Amino acid sequence: MELHILEHSLKVASIEKEGIEICTHGLIKLAFLASKTRCKFFSLTETPEDYTIIVDEEGFKELPQSNLISVADSTWLALNVVSGGGNASSSQPIGVTKIAKSVIAPLADHNISVFMLSTYQTDFILVRERDLPMVMHTLSSEFTLFRVVNGETVAAHNLGISNGFVKPKLGMPRPIIHPLSSPSNMFCVTSLDPDTLPSVATLLMDVMFYSVGFPNNVLFTSASGELWKMVRIGGQPLGFDECGIVAQISEPLATADIPAYYISTFKFDHALVPEENIQSVIRALRTESTAQ
Amino acid sequence: MSGSKPDILWSPHHPNRYVICDSELGLYSIGPVGSTETKPGTLSLSEETAATLLAINSDTPYMKCVAWYPKHEPECLLAVGQANGRVVLTSLGQNHNSTCKELVGKEFVPKHARQCNTLAWNPVDSNLLAAGLDKHRADFSVLIWDISSKFAPETSVAAEKIRLSSVDLDSSTVVTKPLYELGQNDACLSLCWLLRDTKLLLAGMHRNLAIFDLRNTSQKTFVNTKAIQGVTVDPHFPDRVASFFEGQVAIWDLRKFEKPVLTLTEQPKPLTKVAWCPTRTGLLATLTRDSNIIRLYDMQHTPTPIGDETEPTIIERSVQPCDSQIGSFAWHPSSQNRMVVVSAANRVMTDFTVFERISLAWSSTASLMWACGRHLYSCVEDEAEGTDGAAEKDIATKMRERAQSRYGHDTVQVWRNHLLAGGISHMKQCSEDAELKLQGNKQFAVYSGIKNIVKTSSGTTESRRCWSGSDRQTDVTRFQSDERCLALRLCGWISRGPDIDVETFLRSLEQEREWERAAAIALFNLDIRRAIQILSKGAVTEKGDLNLNVVAMALSGYTDEKSSLWREMCSSLRLQLKNPYLCVMFAFLTSEPGAYDGVLYESKVAVRDRVAFACMFLSDAQLPRYIDKLTAEMKEAGNLEGILLTGLTKDGVDLMESYVDRTGDVQTASFCMLKGSPGDVLKDPRVQCWIENYRNLLDAWRFWHKRAEFDILRGKLDPSSKPLAQVFVSCNFCGKSISYSCSAMPHQGRGFSQYGVSGSPTKSKVTSCPGCRKPLPRCALCLMNMGTPVSSCSGTGKSDEKMDLTRENKLAQFNNWFTWCHNCRHGGHAGHMLSWFRDHTECPVSACACKCMQLDTTGNLVPADSS
Repeated sequence: MELHILEHSLKVASIEKEGIEICTHGLIKLAFLASKTRCKFFSLTETPEDYTIIVDEEGFKELPQSNLISVADSTWLALNVVSGGGNASSSQPIGVTKIAKSVIAPLADHNISVFMLSTYQTDFILVRERDLPMVMHTLSSEFTLFRVVNGETVAAHNLGISNGFVKPKLGMPRPIIHPLSSPSNMFCVTSLDPDTLPSVATLLMDVMFYSVGFPNNVLFTSASGELWKMVRIGGQPLGFDECGIVAQISEPLATADIPAYYISTFKFDHALVPEENIQSVIRALRTESTAQ
Repeated sequence: MSGSKPDILWSPHHPNRYVICDSELGLYSIGPVGSTETKPGTLSLSEETAATLLAINSDTPYMKCVAWYPKHEPECLLAVGQANGRVVLTSLGQNHNSTCKELVGKEFVPKHARQCNTLAWNPVDSNLLAAGLDKHRADFSVLIWDISSKFAPETSVAAEKIRLSSVDLDSSTVVTKPLYELGQNDACLSLCWLLRDTKLLLAGMHRNLAIFDLRNTSQKTFVNTKAIQGVTVDPHFPDRVASFFEGQVAIWDLRKFEKPVLTLTEQPKPLTKVAWCPTRTGLLATLTRDSNIIRLYDMQHTPTPIGDETEPTIIERSVQPCDSQIGSFAWHPSSQNRMVVVSAANRVMTDFTVFERISLAWSSTASLMWACGRHLYSCVEDEAEGTDGAAEKDIATKMRERAQSRYGHDTVQVWRNHLLAGGISHMKQCSEDAELKLQGNKQFAVYSGIKNIVKTSSGTTESRRCWSGSDRQTDVTRFQSDERCLALRLCGWISRGPDIDVETFLRSLEQEREWERAAAIALFNLDIRRAIQILSKGAVTEKGDLNLNVVAMALSGYTDEKSSLWREMCSSLRLQLKNPYLCVMFAFLTSEPGAYDGVLYESKVAVRDRVAFACMFLSDAQLPRYIDKLTAEMKEAGNLEGILLTGLTKDGVDLMESYVDRTGDVQTASFCMLKGSPGDVLKDPRVQCWIENYRNLLDAWRFWHKRAEFDILRGKLDPSSKPLAQVFVSCNFCGKSISYSCSAMPHQGRGFSQYGVSGSPTKSKVTSCPGCRKPLPRCALCLMNMGTPVSSCSGTGKSDEKMDLTRENKLAQFNNWFTWCHNCRHGGHAGHMLSWFRDHTECPVSACACKCMQLDTTGNLVPADSS
């Protein structure tokens, strides 16, 4: 397995619901006019609480200064797992579950806070830039590490730095600390051809800023047409320093072989699980919390 | 494609069909203009070809890529990759084909929808269709479908889940289970099957090129690179692959896959298509976005003599098939270097053949050969009928003929005879010039040319002479000095000695029937009576021009009165005279004293006559100015007559340079420069260059004897050019040179000739070293010690040798020489060796396996000038 450390220096910010107006110009530019900015990484997540933006430093300049926007103080780097060697196993778990044991759990064990962003194509694991030497140290045994520099992938070497935080918790289940909730609405995870972006731009703008639903036939849906349910993690805003939250959720799901998307936002974390599996998810997670 | 950008595909088996795909598929048939003219809807592709639209298929929206079924049957079966990752089989104009029906409409649906970037049909195992898709977090991006597979049983299970899908899937035609799934977590941008093994698939993944082996899918060979788009195998070299990234093309050798063997020069705009020419090895065509140019790279591996691996020579060319921007192009599968280009904007198509580079070679004789594509053309000069009326022969032919007729050697007489026979005017001038130089051999001033002679002129006397045979005083001033006299002699007007009479010269001109010239010269010497006499003589001789009488009559009416009718009429009518000499005669008579431009600038009059005239009638102030001007003119024109003015000085070399630039006649240049040859002129690099080139030319013609003669002549005229002795024969035992030891011991009374080198048969032969008395080596054939004379009939008994006695004598001298192979060091008498190697290629020494004759590249060549 290969772990690619992407070159984007990312900022995580939150825009209050009422602050979206002042950011509209910048957001439209980032989302639809990629050639007008030097931004290479942009993510916008809307939750009932706020808008979470993950954007690289170039893109961050497009956003105005305002007290309606709060920014997490550290710079984040995105990690991406690639099955480089081609040792394709026939049955692979989907998404976070796949990397739960190999990435999430070891990072949690070494007290490194992660911020997850699952997309249709891949999962990004965001770590603080200052934690990078530790991350590399932790994951070098399991992965071949590559760093992307100016678009070229080059081998990265572990610097042998350790924070001495070794917690071998063999066999010990990780207790779930935060309260979970699962709203009744369902989610569809999809993607679209970048070439068709101009033709759906007005629709997307509606969705982004006016919260209208998509008409039926615009987006690609997967052949199986699956739908997803959400599990929200946290009753109070989680903050950025606590580690092990992703691991708490993803490990039981991985054990139960349930595919999942995991999206962190400024305040809470969200896991998307297949709707037909929601009962087994609740079961699995409940066991974990009661085990506490 | 995505609607705006069209692509074009040639049918793999129908050489006249192709498909254009943009938002829909259009099948076209291409044919000559004449045959398709009548049908409506014909599109002209070029002057000779036109296309007809056969069928349109717009069943498949959101097309991203298309691949044509590689086998004959069913023809016109196409796979279309769509924006949602589905691959649909479709066909064009094949409604009644039953084999096709089963397949058409079949859909191959990936588990997770995303764009299909590329399709590649296995050329051998044509059931296998590889599709390259965008990345999905939990899916593979290279799917290999089996087009013959029936829908999988799981499809019914999958169909249950279909709720959000807008497309109703007819489960009987949908395949959801690929045969192979490769390339997890990575986007695939381009694919091609490798020709060296049909189980190998080369894929341009997101950041690497990977080779998947279907026999063992868990293994892959890969290399990290950015150049992952448009992978394509060279149809002529199964191991050579091209791929590109933005503006750069990388060429890979699959045997050495670590890094590209070549990267081509980067182009400013991103590339859109790269394709190997299927009909020509090593030709790669590339197209960039928004361009109307197709750039071609011709990669040719040239073998090197050392055998080291070298980078191929790449010749870059650009072709512009049409004026509009090119959307895409496709090479014709069988027609040589032909492609069809479709414009980016509105499907304008152009049929275009890339013209092959022409490589051309001149032979050392006048023929010319060139290669273009697979054709070889040669152009040979017509064997001229030998008439002077025929077009002028090529300079190479002329030089060859002249070399054969001993041009330039021996005496001036030979030169002249030859040149008169050749009838080439300027050469004649030159030869006469050379003759004069010989005459003036004692006076070195002659070589410096009239230009320098008149510059040093001093003590000029002016005189006004009477018209001879009349006591009327002329108003013409004539100038005289020693230098002017010499110049006149160089011009040929007067001969050697104190006599300055032109009568002898006039007689010789009369003999050569140059009446007009003779008359003009007589007139310039103020002998009007003699001029009239010459003209009337010319009129009465056989084939004479009777008009000369009329001219004589006009001449006799001469009057020096300024305002006479005669003057007025002559000065205007003279311009209508065709003969330049007649013209200048009247110009002379009608011009003011001291203003003879009508004579001096009459370019048809021979230079030496004009110069001689100037020497007689121009003042010390006017003369050098005129000469300078004329010299510059001659130099500019490369006119050899000008040598008279410049002599064989630096100026002369300049003039000759201009002449050689115009004609390439290094032969004349070499001889001229050798003849006069003050040392510094011969050292001029240009002169050396001409001489070397002439020698090379003689060698190339195999005129080795001529070349040797030329070298001898050169050695005589320019002793510094004599080569030093290059070969010495020394004794094996004492190491002393045999020839040197002989000359060092004159008291022994033995010259070098005694050792058989001169071949005088009467003298006694010595077979041992004069230094140490040890025997000289033996000839490998006759086993006699060297130095022993060779009997003329030994070895060969050929009758033809006896027939040519003179030749036999010449060769007999050479027969006694030593000769040996530089490789095995065996040898013997030259005559023996010659006759041995006439029939053998290996060494005459029995134990030696040396193929002496094969090592001698020129040994089998026969001189072309042996006489």
